[in-house]
Amino acid sequence: MPTLGELLEPYGSVSLIGMCKNAGKTSVLNRIIRESAHKRLALSSIGRDGESQDLVTGTEKPGIYVPAGTLLATAADLLKHSDISREILDTTGVFTPLGEVVIFRGRSDGSVDLAGPSITTQLSRLREQFFSFGAQQVLFDGALSRKSLCSRQVSEATILCSGASYHKNMDVVVADTAYQCRLLTLPEVPLPQVTEELKGVLPYAKGEFLPMSAEEALKTGEAEGLFFGGALSEFALRPFLALSLKNITLTVRDSSKILLKEDAFQKLLRRGASVSVLESVNPVAVTVNPFSAYGFHFDPEKFYEKMSQAVPLPVFDVRREAT
Amino acid sequence: MKALSYEQKERIGFTYITGQLQPSSPYGTERVRELSPVENKTELLRQLDNVRRMLSVPEDGSLRRMLQLFHGLKMLRPTARKGRENDLNEIELFELKRFLLQTAEILPLWKELQEKWQLQGLRLADTEAALDLLDPHGHRVASFYLEDDSSPLLTLLRQEKRSLEAELHRAPSDELYARRSLVAAQEESEEQRLRSELSKKLRPYLGDILQNMEAIGELDLTVEKARLAARFGGVYPEIRDGQLDFSQMRYPKIENFTPISLSLPIGSTVITGANMGGKSVALKTLALNVYLIHCGLFPFAQKAVCPLFDALLFLAEDAEDTDKGLSSFGGEILRLQEALDTIRKGFCLVLLDEFARGTNPDEGAALVQGLTEYLDGLPVMAVLSTHYDKVAQKASAHYQVVGLRNASEEELSARLRNLDGAGSLKLLQQYMNYGLYPVWDAGDCPKDALRICRLLGLEEEILSLVENNYGI
Repeated sequence: MPTLGELLEPYGSVSLIGMCKNAGKTSVLNRIIRESAHKRLALSSIGRDGESQDLVTGTEKPGIYVPAGTLLATAADLLKHSDISREILDTTGVFTPLGEVVIFRGRSDGSVDLAGPSITTQLSRLREQFFSFGAQQVLFDGALSRKSLCSRQVSEATILCSGASYHKNMDVVVADTAYQCRLLTLPEVPLPQVTEELKGVLPYAKGEFLPMSAEEALKTGEAEGLFFGGALSEFALRPFLALSLKNITLTVRDSSKILLKEDAFQKLLRRGASVSVLESVNPVAVTVNPFSAYGFHFDPEKFYEKMSQAVPLPVFDVRREAT
Repeated sequence: MKALSYEQKERIGFTYITGQLQPSSPYGTERVRELSPVENKTELLRQLDNVRRMLSVPEDGSLRRMLQLFHGLKMLRPTARKGRENDLNEIELFELKRFLLQTAEILPLWKELQEKWQLQGLRLADTEAALDLLDPHGHRVASFYLEDDSSPLLTLLRQEKRSLEAELHRAPSDELYARRSLVAAQEESEEQRLRSELSKKLRPYLGDILQNMEAIGELDLTVEKARLAARFGGVYPEIRDGQLDFSQMRYPKIENFTPISLSLPIGSTVITGANMGGKSVALKTLALNVYLIHCGLFPFAQKAVCPLFDALLFLAEDAEDTDKGLSSFGGEILRLQEALDTIRKGFCLVLLDEFARGTNPDEGAALVQGLTEYLDGLPVMAVLSTHYDKVAQKASAHYQVVGLRNASEEELSARLRNLDGAGSLKLLQQYMNYGLYPVWDAGDCPKDALRICRLLGLEEEILSLVENNYGI
C-alpha cells in the first residue's frame, strides 16, 4: 500500500476535511508534510485552524511543523505565533479578523499557526499565487463544517478525516463517515443558469430551468430534475412526497446542503430519485484516529478494519504509521 | 470656487464625467475621488497647463508600461506616515520595499516621458538609498527577509537553530524541540530589534517616499484628464477675468448633442425656448463645463474663455423640498435667499432653471422679471431659463433654444401620423434642435406649446377652444 504522500502525488492541490474536532487532521497534515519532503509544499488553511490548544475541548493540539522552504499563508496577527524564520513574499488583499492574509516562505523549519481565506474564489486565487512562487503541491487545512469550500475549484483531491471524537459508538462513526463519503462523491450536474442568490425549488430539463412550478413540472412529467437553492431537507421535500420522483434528479449546490439523515436519503433513492451536486469534491482517502479527545478510544485494528470495509477509499490510521 | 455637493455634481453631470476617469494606481483613484475646484489660480493654471503639455505628446509604449506599473501599486501612505514615529513590522517593511522597487522601475520611464512632456511642478525623487537599506545585498527581489548577516547575534542564533533542526531530523526528542523553541524565541527578539533599527534608518527617506506617492497620484490623474479630453474633445480653457465665452460647448452624457455657443455679460442672461426644448440641458452644460475648468479639467468645447468664480449656484426645482415638507415654491424662495447671500460675498455664476415655475403664471412672470432686473444690476453672471414673457427685456443678453423652428411641419406631421405616443415623443426629440441662438430684440417666448400639442395629436376640439381663449 502506498503512503498517504505517495497517494497524493498526482494532485496539485489537496484539502483536508474533518468529520469533527480532534479528528486528527493536524496529525494527517504533519504526516503528509513528512512524506512529501522531496517537493516544495505550500500550506494554508480554510479559515482558522492550527491553534496549539483546541478552543472547544481544551486539549493540547499538535502544531503544524514544516521544513525549511515551505510556502505558507496566514493572517498577519498570527505571524508572531510561528517560530519559523520568515521571508515575506506577498500580501493577498484578503482580510480576516486577524489581519490580512500574507504569503511567506519558511527559511528554517518550524511550527506555524495558520488562518487563510474562507471564500472559494480567494482560496483558488491563493492557490495560483502559491504556484507562481514555485509550489509543487498546495495543501489546505479545511476547518470544521467548511466542506463546501473543498470543491474542485479549490482542491483537486480531498482527504476525509474521521475519528473517535465524532461519537463514542464506533459503528456510528463508521456509518456516518461512509455516508459522508457517499455524499462527497455524488455526481456533478452543471446548471449554468444558477446564481448565488437563487432560492427555492426550481424544475429543470436538459440543463435549463422550466417556466413553471416544481409541482407542476413533476405532474406533467416535464421535469428531469429539481434544483434546491437552499438545503435539501425533509422539510424542503415535503411538497413533493405525494408526487412521483421516479427518474428525477435532485440537485443541490454542494453536499453540505444535504441535511437528510441517511435513512431519509436511502428512502429517496428507493423511490427512484437520484441526487447530484453543482460542485463536487474529490475524496481520495479516509483517515481514522482511534483516540478521542474525550478520554476514550477505539481498538485501532477493529476501527481500521470496519472503516476499510465501509468506504470505497483507502483508509489510513493516523497514529499507527506516524513516527 | 466652493465645491458642489454630491447631488449638485450628479445633477450637472460631473459625477458622470469623473466616472469616465480610470486611474491605474490607488493614489490616482484617491485624486479622482477628491476632485474639487482648485482654490489657487496659479495652481489651477499649472494643472491645466500640464494636461495641455501631456496632450501634445502622443501616448506611447513607455506611458502604457508606466501605467502598468502604477497598477501594481498599493496604498501605503498610512504605513509611511506611521513609520515617521513608529517601528514598522515585517509586512510593512515588505510593502515599503516593494513600493521602492516599483518606484525604481517607474523612475526611468518617468524621466523619459518627462523629457517630452516637460510637466511643471512634478518631481519623482530617487529613493535608491532607502531601497539599499531594505535590500543590503542588492537582490532587488520583492520579498522581505532579515538575512543571517544582519547582525552577529542573528548569525549565531540562526546557525544554532539550523543545527538543532538537523539534529531533530535525525533523532527527534522533546528536549531538542524545547531547545530549538528557546533559540527561536531569541531569534524573534533579535529580529524585532533589527526591524526597529531599520525603521529608524528609513525615517529620513519617508518624506521623499510620501512625496513620490503624491506625485504618482497627480501624474496618474493628469494622464486620465488628458485621455478624457482626447476622448470627448476637451479644449484648453483661457482664464480671463469678467469674460465667459464658450463655442460649441457639449454635454458628453447625451449622445447626438447639439453643441451650444454662449457668451455671458456681467449681469443677467435669459434663455427662453419651447417645452422639451432643452433649456435645462443648456444650463447643465454651462454649469458642467465651468465646473470642470475650476477642477483643472478641460471643458468640452471648441473654444472656452472663462473667469474664475467664487461660487457656482444652480437653482432648480428640488425634490428634496417636498421631502422637508416645503412646497416646491417655498423651497425655491429659501434657496434663492441663501444664494443671494453668497452672491453678495463674491463673484458668482448663478443659474436659475425655470424659477417660480410652480406658482401662478402672472405672479411668477412678475417675480422672474424682478429677479432678472435685480441680478442684472449686480456683479454676477446670472443665467435664467424661463417660459415667462417680458423677462428678456430686463436682461443684458437673451438666447433662445432653436427648438422646432427649423423643422418642416408637413414633413414632421406626416411622419408622426403613424406613430404611437412613445414613438411620437422620440421622433419629436429627434427634430428638436437644442442649440441656442442669440436674440437681439428682447422678444417674447416662442409659442411652441400649441404646436407641440398639435403635432402630438391632441384633440382638435380642445385646441380650437384654446385658440379662441388665446385670441389667435
